[in-house]
Amino acid sequence: MDVNRREVLKVLMGGSAVAAVAMTGAPVANAGDSKEFELQPDAVGLMYDATKCIGCRACMPACQNANGLKPDTGGSGGLYQQPDTLNANTKNLIKLYTAPDGHERSFMKQQCMHCVDPACVSGCPMKALHKEPQGVVGWDPVLCIGCRYCQVACPFNIPKFEWEKFNPKIVKCEMCRHIVGKTVSQPACTQVCPTHAVIYGKRSDLLAEAKRRIQEKPGYYFQDRVYGETEAGGTQCLVLSHVDYSNLGLPKLTNESPAAKTRQVSDFVYRGFLTPVVVYGGIVAIVRNRWKEHLKHAEHEGGEAHGEEKRA
Amino acid sequence: MTVTWERCIRLKEPLKTRPFLIFAGLAAVGLLLGAYRELMGLGYVTGLNDGYSWGLFKNWNVTALTALGSGGYAVAVLAWIFNEKRFHPIMRTAVLTSLLGYGTGMLALGFDVGRPWNFVWLADPRTWNHYSVLWEVAVCMTAYFMLALDVENMPPFLESMYRSDDPVKKERAMKIFKFLQKTFPFGIALAFTLPSMHQSSLGSLMYLAGPRVHPLWQTPLLALLYLLMAYILGFACVLLVLALCAYVYDLGWDVDIMQRLGQVMAWTTVIWLVVRFADLAYRGALKYALTFDRYSIYFLIEEALILVPTVLLFSKANRQSPGKLFRLTFLICLGGLFYRFTPTTLAFSPLGDYRYFPSTFEILMSIGFTALAVAVFLYAVKTFAILPASKGKIASEAAMRPFDTL
Repeated sequence: MDVNRREVLKVLMGGSAVAAVAMTGAPVANAGDSKEFELQPDAVGLMYDATKCIGCRACMPACQNANGLKPDTGGSGGLYQQPDTLNANTKNLIKLYTAPDGHERSFMKQQCMHCVDPACVSGCPMKALHKEPQGVVGWDPVLCIGCRYCQVACPFNIPKFEWEKFNPKIVKCEMCRHIVGKTVSQPACTQVCPTHAVIYGKRSDLLAEAKRRIQEKPGYYFQDRVYGETEAGGTQCLVLSHVDYSNLGLPKLTNESPAAKTRQVSDFVYRGFLTPVVVYGGIVAIVRNRWKEHLKHAEHEGGEAHGEEKRA
Repeated sequence: MTVTWERCIRLKEPLKTRPFLIFAGLAAVGLLLGAYRELMGLGYVTGLNDGYSWGLFKNWNVTALTALGSGGYAVAVLAWIFNEKRFHPIMRTAVLTSLLGYGTGMLALGFDVGRPWNFVWLADPRTWNHYSVLWEVAVCMTAYFMLALDVENMPPFLESMYRSDDPVKKERAMKIFKFLQKTFPFGIALAFTLPSMHQSSLGSLMYLAGPRVHPLWQTPLLALLYLLMAYILGFACVLLVLALCAYVYDLGWDVDIMQRLGQVMAWTTVIWLVVRFADLAYRGALKYALTFDRYSIYFLIEEALILVPTVLLFSKANRQSPGKLFRLTFLICLGGLFYRFTPTTLAFSPLGDYRYFPSTFEILMSIGFTALAVAVFLYAVKTFAILPASKGKIASEAAMRPFDTL
């Protein structure tokens, strides 16, 4: 028994020595540093300024038409389009927030925020959700297995699923990527917005514009802050409002992307797949000796066991 | 009756008993509803929605129940790495519960995914997102279920093949077994590495959900806590299954094996509790524990179910009494399953006004998948030499040389 304990210790120590070398010496690709997850210089996005929105909802049918979605008339008894949440037929929704005292009001355009380092893309096992060339988060029907991990992962609760379908799709804003740059120059919602409450452009330009508006009217926008500049590692869609963003369904998030945090944990444990290899090697080394011993022991007892078998 | 379990036996019992027929019936209902779900879409059959898009199938049948299926993994670590030879007679039972535990999880997963036909692209490495924790779980769990667990469960099957009168079959069985014997250390190492990977990744899955999981559960250490819980639940499952079989099939009670299983489980639980509370204290999340809101109550139930029986299991008298050992292990098992389930569903809050409660069909399917595992277990222990027994126990057949070396 003592010998065996010592053996285990020896192998375990050998294994951890290898692991220690690996942890300090081996060049480990740190996912946090990788260019792949940074903001692309040509990234595009939307900026929605709630103080300019008049709530006409012209962007909603425009989105529906551009994306071939059926109108959701559930809320109006079939008369006109009135979805209550984003759903399998609604990628874009204008909502009105009214404070309990009735004084403070703000519209909100709910849609995919097109994160710089999106949790949905990081979680998607098959690269169905992916970053397009200008940072737009796209969905590929050929690769999607319908696991819905994107729905669990998204901090904004955006991706929706066709629950009633035999061959269900994930539905979310893809910034009209199927037509922008081909037949039109900008997404349907920005095209039709009469007050330019939502505008399309390069993210860097949009951010500069948002900051210019804040500077023009200090104290007007909530905390003089653009939502999406840093939240969850930054989003390509930016929001301005005079109302506390958390009342508009935009959660309070840290500046770190949940995707980056998860990669850090995986990198720490896996060391670029070195850990599993070291563990595997260590176990083989231990079990090999045990196995020889076990077979020898079995052979020794063999005759007796065989006799038993005949009697049974 | 105290005995020493020394060999594996095939039970001398008729297969078509009433319990078997009930489990088989439940399984049939589950599978029929599964076919209905494939035709109609998930929305008609389940209570899932855009807020709670993972429900019973993934969070219960996969995340929680495959931890019960870690018995083969946990006991193999004791038997092969810590060289506790006394556990060899129960290895066949342990690896069978693993195969079935994972089988029921994989089945639920198959019915849960919306576009299963796109799984074919897994064959093309260009589609792999190796940053995805779910990809890791999917590949690693499939490899464990399709490869390692099958190899581990081969010996009883080969043995029964060898008993055939056909000399060709006999020879083939022996040939395969000789190959297994040669490659065994490499196989068992795989059966150790793979579950270590995916049982911890099942925890990391929820880490990506970030602030949507309540701080009492959300931690970067979810991976470690889930892995430790897989060991605990693995030991618990093997212990409970053996205890039930010993009672139903009159196998006697090997005090040495059973109390040792309980002891190792209790020690693992102590490690789990230390990590759990150290992590809560370090993150400053302990303040949520005694607020007595919904989450605090879940947390207190979970800790009580795990802590109290663990303390009691440190009494040798309790471990030596079959009834007490069974009841205490059962409580830890409930607490552990509750821990594995909570972060995925009960402590998960999507934005917006969403509610989830599994539909009747969903519950019936979930029960059906589990019942299928039980029915196959009942079939297997009456068809192959699996369950441990003393030399005195009269059986249809006992494990024979050289197959009983595995």
